Amino acid sequence: MKFDIDSFREIADALVRNKSRSLLTGFGVFWGIFMLLFMVGGGAGLKQVIGSNFEGFATNTAIMISSQTTKPWKGFKEGRYWSLTYTDVDRLKLMMPELETVTPVISSWGTSIIRGKDSYSGSYKGVYADYVKIEEPQLKYGRYINETDVLQERKVCVIGKRVYNNLFPEGGDPCGSFIRVGPAYYQVIGVDFSDGNISISGRTSESVTVPLPVAQKILNRGATVDLLCVTGRSGVRMTDQEPRIRQVIARQHLFDPSDKQALFIINTEQLFTLIDNLFTGVNFLIWLVGLGTILAGVIGVSNIMMVTVKERTTEIGIRRAIGATPRDILSQIILESISLTLVAGSFGIVFAVQLLRLLETIVNSMPDSAGASFQIGFWTAVLAALLLTALGVVAGLAPASRAMAIKPVDAMRDE
Amino acid sequence: MLIELKDVNKTYNNGQPLHVLKGINLSIDKGEFVSIMGASGSGKSTLLNILGILDNYDTGEYYIDGRLIKGLTEKQAADYRNRLIGFIFQSFNLISFKTAVENVELPLFYQGVSRARRHQMAMEYLDRLGLADWAGHYPNEMSGGQKQRVAIARALITGPKILLADEPTGALDSKTSEEVMQLLSKLNREDGVTIIVVTHESGVANCTDKIVHIKDGIIGRIEDNRAHNASAFGTATIMK
Ligand SMILES: Nc1ncnc2c1ncn2[C@@H]1O[C@H](COP(=O)(O)OP(=O)(O)OP(=O)(O)O)[C@@H](O)[C@H]1O
Ligand SMILES: [Mg+2]
Repeated sequence: MKFDIDSFREIADALVRNKSRSLLTGFGVFWGIFMLLFMVGGGAGLKQVIGSNFEGFATNTAIMISSQTTKPWKGFKEGRYWSLTYTDVDRLKLMMPELETVTPVISSWGTSIIRGKDSYSGSYKGVYADYVKIEEPQLKYGRYINETDVLQERKVCVIGKRVYNNLFPEGGDPCGSFIRVGPAYYQVIGVDFSDGNISISGRTSESVTVPLPVAQKILNRGATVDLLCVTGRSGVRMTDQEPRIRQVIARQHLFDPSDKQALFIINTEQLFTLIDNLFTGVNFLIWLVGLGTILAGVIGVSNIMMVTVKERTTEIGIRRAIGATPRDILSQIILESISLTLVAGSFGIVFAVQLLRLLETIVNSMPDSAGASFQIGFWTAVLAALLLTALGVVAGLAPASRAMAIKPVDAMRDE
Repeated sequence: MLIELKDVNKTYNNGQPLHVLKGINLSIDKGEFVSIMGASGSGKSTLLNILGILDNYDTGEYYIDGRLIKGLTEKQAADYRNRLIGFIFQSFNLISFKTAVENVELPLFYQGVSRARRHQMAMEYLDRLGLADWAGHYPNEMSGGQKQRVAIARALITGPKILLADEPTGALDSKTSEEVMQLLSKLNREDGVTIIVVTHESGVANCTDKIVHIKDGIIGRIEDNRAHNASAFGTATIMK
């Protein structure tokens, strides 16, 4: 087989000078590869968009909320109200060394936050300093609540991005300024720019966070807390700890440990696993549909080349009559097939990349976007190209073997 | 002898077996200009295809230049066709999406001749046949006579010993037919190419030096026509 520049020019000529035939043949492959890559890139981007909702969240976290009991227990009827308390914090710390952090949160919603003539309605949260272990702040300015703030019950606060944008439209470092939340004034000590969408008790971007004892007094809460957040030590699976936690809390508050609705536990590990599984499923579907489309395209190439070979019987017969060997013909048809699939496929790759870029620009220009990447990886593209070459060979096999069977005498036959 | 056929038989086996060549014995010497005539279906094309190694024969022997042409591999057959034999067809058989010069180049492509060299050679041959100005044209932009001359250039470019033509004037008017025949006889005279032409037309046959009549698959009369008086264009009974 002669694999030189000349053979490729010969093939390029055959393809370029029979444009409509080549276009028709290549379109299936173009569409297949485009669909696959676009879906793969789009799927990855979507995953990031959804993943950005969990931004800053420790993966090994559980959040507990008390609720009405649904089962009778030790003489109490179902439907009883109860609340988590500060004692639960100490008890969990004491009885469960597997837990690294146990920290309570109290909060109130729809609080007006005021600075001069600017105001914003957001949520008001009280936390301990170790709350950073649950939800990591992305501090644009200043610092987070620390131990001293808590101990001395300082009237200081960390504000979220939206709050900052609304109260400090002029921008700049707001630390040291005072804002009013509800009845009291607080000094701003930090700005948290984290963007997660499932922040506990209101989005971080829309909240004002203060030391817990301050909030406790302002909101008049006594010993009860709204949420308990815990993280496991590294290597500890939260899912395994759940039953123990339920037991510890249930014994104290006298409800049935099997009453899952009395103590509602959101476990991020389960959440992440769920989403991971979801995307594994979605990915599987994407590849299934995408590869199916490519396969259909390749069969199309094979089919049209088959018809083409029949149509080109005379041409091939002439080539044979003037000295082409069957191998010359075989390599010509296979190379035509490879070239066609590769060129069409490359267009598909380029088109998919461009469209993904456009999609990325659109998505990222929306407010709230966390800068998701919708692109396919370099190696995915290389893999796709290799796949195309292989498929080109496969697509060319049947037509090529038919072309090889054409005899030189066939050149003589008219029509 | 350049070409020697001994008791060559050919049967087509498509459904009903058809015994087309029934023992052909024929010798053609180097530099001869021969025509083969016969009724339709008498096996002229079949014979020519065997001579051109386009098709196989069943029994007998066929020698070119003393070499037995039998049981060749595809590669050998392709090589002989490429270097030893040139073909001219009734329907020209140019590749429609290639220009005149590219069509002429094609046999050299299969010899592995470089692009520049074969282009130069193809241009020389086209020039010899008076088609230099038409080099860049596609077959559908040319007249029948021009197309046949391109086909002749393609057949000649590898410098073959034998030129085979199956009704080369079948699709041409009488004037163009005459031009083509004159061209062939000039090639025969000046370059010493052995030419075998299958034809129905006595005028065409009259241009050749020897007329072989074939009837029902066997060689009949062989006419010596060096005097070229068998019949001339336009004067014979059955002419265009
Ligand atoms: N590939 C084939 N398969 C079966 N039969 C064939 C084949 N080619 C030719 N024949 C038959 O063989 C016989 C001789 O055909 P051939 O083409 O050699 O005739 P010919 O002398 O060239 O006729 P014409 O002058 O019409 O071209 C015819 O009866 C034809 O039908
Ligand atoms: Mg014939």
